[in-house]
Amino acid sequence: MEELSAKIDRLLSLPPYSQPPDEREFGLLELLKEELEYGCQRHVGYANYIRQWPVDFHSARRVSELPFLPVGILKANPPLSFVGPHEIKRTLTSSATTSQSPSRVALDAATSRRMTKGVVAIVRDHIGPSRRPYLVVDTSDFMRRADSLGARSAAIQGLQPFATQATYCLLSDEKGELTLDRQKLQEFAENHRDAEVLIYGFTFILWNHLVKPLMAENVCLNLPNVRILHSGGWKRLQDQAVEKAVFNDQLARLFGCSPHCIIDFYGMVESVGVIFPDCQEGNKHGPSFGDVIVRDPLTLEPVAAGEHGIVQVCSVLPTSFPGNLLLTEDLAQVIAYDGCACGRRGIGFRFAGRVPKAELRGCGNLETKRTATN
Amino acid sequence: MTTLTATKVVQAVHAPAEITDAADELRRRAANDEMTPNEVMTVFEAWAMSLQAKELDEVPGIVFLRMWLRRGTLEPIINRELGEESLNGGWTEYGRARCKAFPLGVVGHWPAGNIEIQPILSMTCALLGGNAALVRIPRGLFDLTRMLMEKLERAESGERLARRIFMAAFEHGRLDLHEAMARAVDGAMIWGGKESVLQVRSLPFPHWAKLAVFGPRISVAAMDAGAWSDPEQQKTWCQRLARDVWQFDQQACSSPQVLYLERSPGRATTQFLSSLQRAFEAENQAHPRQTIPAALTSAIARARAAWLLGDPSRHAVFPMGPDWTLLVGAGSELPEPVQGKTLAVLEVDNLMDAVAKFDGNVQTLGLGMANAEREKDLALLAGQRGVDRIVKLGRMHTFTPPWDGVDLIRPMVRIVRHVSSAD
Repeated sequence: MEELSAKIDRLLSLPPYSQPPDEREFGLLELLKEELEYGCQRHVGYANYIRQWPVDFHSARRVSELPFLPVGILKANPPLSFVGPHEIKRTLTSSATTSQSPSRVALDAATSRRMTKGVVAIVRDHIGPSRRPYLVVDTSDFMRRADSLGARSAAIQGLQPFATQATYCLLSDEKGELTLDRQKLQEFAENHRDAEVLIYGFTFILWNHLVKPLMAENVCLNLPNVRILHSGGWKRLQDQAVEKAVFNDQLARLFGCSPHCIIDFYGMVESVGVIFPDCQEGNKHGPSFGDVIVRDPLTLEPVAAGEHGIVQVCSVLPTSFPGNLLLTEDLAQVIAYDGCACGRRGIGFRFAGRVPKAELRGCGNLETKRTATN
Repeated sequence: MTTLTATKVVQAVHAPAEITDAADELRRRAANDEMTPNEVMTVFEAWAMSLQAKELDEVPGIVFLRMWLRRGTLEPIINRELGEESLNGGWTEYGRARCKAFPLGVVGHWPAGNIEIQPILSMTCALLGGNAALVRIPRGLFDLTRMLMEKLERAESGERLARRIFMAAFEHGRLDLHEAMARAVDGAMIWGGKESVLQVRSLPFPHWAKLAVFGPRISVAAMDAGAWSDPEQQKTWCQRLARDVWQFDQQACSSPQVLYLERSPGRATTQFLSSLQRAFEAENQAHPRQTIPAALTSAIARARAAWLLGDPSRHAVFPMGPDWTLLVGAGSELPEPVQGKTLAVLEVDNLMDAVAKFDGNVQTLGLGMANAEREKDLALLAGQRGVDRIVKLGRMHTFTPPWDGVDLIRPMVRIVRHVSSAD
């Protein structure tokens, strides 16, 4: 395990987007094979799955040939884990708003440490290394539990290494309804007018609880040196028909900054430590310690550049749960497999929404036992 | 007033009045021009011939539709359901009474969206009873149904049959159009999943309307050891099963989701499973998928992982892609269906144990049995446990009434009984 950890740390220490794709793939492939072997030794069910994969992973020549797990399998409770209960330091849970039962991800100390390092390496590449005042467009209420962390709190906490101090500008009542603490927001804006500041919020929270109420009053916070990061997806804004360009434009107007200061990132708690911020070209890239494969739903082979498919995230960071190769329930378009004008090497892709909810179809669509009511 | 012409049988509908007008016109035409089952079958024969066209070869179920429309298939069904004299519209003697089938009038059809030929199949049942047919075409079947109907229009010289058909294409969510259609019909054949069936059944049908509802079911295959271990028959059985799984992408109520294999001391299923794998590979090569919803790919991937992670004693065989999956294990519990050519293969000590656990949701039991006496016992138990069709593997989709335990033509006619006043 120590040897494996050292190899992971070595990849983590590299600049995240500088390796040529082939070189990066070679490094990832060898390490992921070792992690598959390690996982098989730690979990008999996982070993059974890997053993029966159509291709022996030892002979795989591409990361795309390695056995992947569908992310939905991480909804198991208790969570699928490669470590004993006493070694689990924290359990991450996915947002319950997008699925009825959340994913549960068991983190031991090593995986937790790597998660922080991974996020820092990626974010640093996009916003620079400095610490700065941090405005969280959310409430601090749910940050108190140490043993369990949801998607929002994980994202908020992941950016703490870039913060000198954190300010939470939303309040929640006993029903969990969020309201804007205008005084706190105003104080933050006045205190840091010309400073570099960092702002984070879930996409729909930024829109519903910050942009909408303040734009109606034509407010400008005059924070031109802001970097605004947001995540969580656009699903909850679909019914309001909020386009990304409109979102960026309105948010920029509110803060008095350029729309280029706004960074949408794609991340999921199951893919610990690997997030995918937009580059200035509007594309997302995989870091040196992870990757993305976009698979054709018809064949599950990687799609050609320009085509859409199901996203698979790859990460060497987790060793406490089987999260190295996860087929997500998200769709993306591959823009190019290398050569993005932003200078980052490797795949450039754009998120294209969720896979529609899986439903059995037609007259054979029976999914429950017969009961008196049906 | 909607113009009903033979070349515009399939029409996009936008307003309730279009449906009401169409139904009125259909009712008038059917009443003014009665067609006996024999006359209908003559048109069907010509239609079956025109469906031999090469461009239709890839239509799922087309081979079956061609067979279904043949006189040799339909005549015995009509004789059994409507009486021996019914072919030419005659009265059939029953003791001191005589009976004759009369059409209900206009029969509405709500087919499921996953069976390509179902709008046509459903409609033919009503037409054979002398009815006019008002058919709602699901969005995904619009072009295909139009192609099939154009063949009818060309095959029929006098357009008598086509003039009593109206196919309405409209969005699933247009409740006003569904309601207009329900109000306009005298009978209905309703097919599909639970949600769809419940929605359609609750529409405002006239109080006299007869409804035939074919709701969601699943189907199961089972083989005794004498059948699956027979080296001479093994390959054939596996090919039959693969065909049953492949048709309709395993989404039909008659698609097998599970195969129970009865254990036998000293006989391992290894060779049978290899043969089944080869049959699946061959079927996949012959009939590869052209497209798949991403959601189904995800569901298949989840099913594979859940099967193997959940119990290390289980096995699975599958290619890299989502083309097909065999989930191999043991036990008589009925697993949740996955569809998408994902077959659970479960070894059981006694097939009776598995069938005894059916709860009324199983429509068809496809059998491969070497022991004929045990098959009779199994059929009896299956009937008691709610199964409506017990057929040989390879024929699970053969659309022969009774279907779901009921006849297909008789529910859409009135059987008039005449007892002579002279007696």
